[in-house]
Amino acid sequence: MKILVAEDDTLSRVMLQKSLERAGYEVIAVNDGARSIAALHADDPPRLALLDWVMPEKDGIEVCREVRSHRDRPYTYLILLSSKESKREIVEGLEAGADDYLTKPYDEEELKARLRTGERILELEDRLVEARENMRFQATHDPLTSLWNRGVIEELLGREIRRSQRENSCTVIILCDVDHFKQVNDQYGHNIGDDILRGLARRLQRSVRSYDMVGRFGGEEFLVILNRCDPDSAMTRAENLRAVVAKKPFPTRANPLPVTISVGVALSNDFQQHNLEEILAAVDEALYSAKNAGRNCVRRAQVTKPQATNEAPQTV
Amino acid sequence: MNKPLSDAPQSKNAVSVQPDWDVQELLERLEQDRVFLIELLTIFRQDSDKSITDARTQLANHDLPKLERTAHTLKGMMRNLVMHRAAAAASDLESAARERNLQRATTALQQLDLAMQQLLPEVEAQLTEVKV
Repeated sequence: MKILVAEDDTLSRVMLQKSLERAGYEVIAVNDGARSIAALHADDPPRLALLDWVMPEKDGIEVCREVRSHRDRPYTYLILLSSKESKREIVEGLEAGADDYLTKPYDEEELKARLRTGERILELEDRLVEARENMRFQATHDPLTSLWNRGVIEELLGREIRRSQRENSCTVIILCDVDHFKQVNDQYGHNIGDDILRGLARRLQRSVRSYDMVGRFGGEEFLVILNRCDPDSAMTRAENLRAVVAKKPFPTRANPLPVTISVGVALSNDFQQHNLEEILAAVDEALYSAKNAGRNCVRRAQVTKPQATNEAPQTV
Repeated sequence: MNKPLSDAPQSKNAVSVQPDWDVQELLERLEQDRVFLIELLTIFRQDSDKSITDARTQLANHDLPKLERTAHTLKGMMRNLVMHRAAAAASDLESAARERNLQRATTALQQLDLAMQQLLPEVEAQLTEVKV
């Protein structure tokens, strides 16, 4: 594990470095506070740090405060080293953000034990962060396809439409539905159906730009949001998605299966006075036009009169 | 080699007597690494010489805040090398400087000089012995 040793006295620094290297640590040694901060803010920084209290440039207390002011960074376990040993000074060190405190001359075994404590706390912190990230992912993604789930993709759509209204740009909303999916499930079983959905998710995701968004909207329905899109190319891009799906059969745990999708498309420019619900209803209607037209084709949503309400005209 | 090098008189009544410089303890801390001992003593010889010179200048200039810092550094260095007597003298110098007591600081620096006069030949002897 990497560890920072910040100590201005050469002899103390060399002794500490040697002792920690013998204990298996990868030591980064610096001789002042400014270099400590630079090392702790570098890429792949040490997560453990031994800081001398009295140092030139910035002292150990200032380094602690600086490190703790960056709450977005991974946690660093800070141990202050000093010959100051009054309760007031120890409290000052801990209040500045140090996790632990060792008075000089320190006992080597005690130092190593305290470092092991630091490692345990960092490990716990990493596990907590990982658990939080997993929970966040589960709350926002569809478990089968790992795409955005319906709640999130609708929220993203609302945000993109508001932005396109502000910027006078165009957001393209594409709703895709797998043709005859019920037959796939009935004939081959749900596992094969799941393989198709996973494969389709991957294929859609790979066919859009990195800043476009793809979500699972329902059982076999997928919503694609193309932001800042040229309105003239919207239908072509939707047609490309349809073609990329129909082009090659999808590998499954059994045999590859040919799959097609029907596609409804709406352009935000056409729906300036409509709310999100109305836009989604229009694109859904376009999708069913594509189904009625024989499937495996693309249809554009028609602008309808916004629903009359008692409120002022509502935009998304 | 593993005995304390100091020839300082020791009290017959003392149950445990602290040597002026406990080389045995130091070597234990260094896991008997004599090459590393040379490295540390070489750093000490160079850094302590500069720090003592700085301390004299600071005392002459009555710059006690800086003297406190220099004494603090010397104290840390000497404690690391288990140089008990010199570390105690440096500690006295640090506290006298912290209290801005010029007279006490003068006496403490004299004590530190004495401790160093005794210590440095022992350091040189260690360096020669280890190199051989």
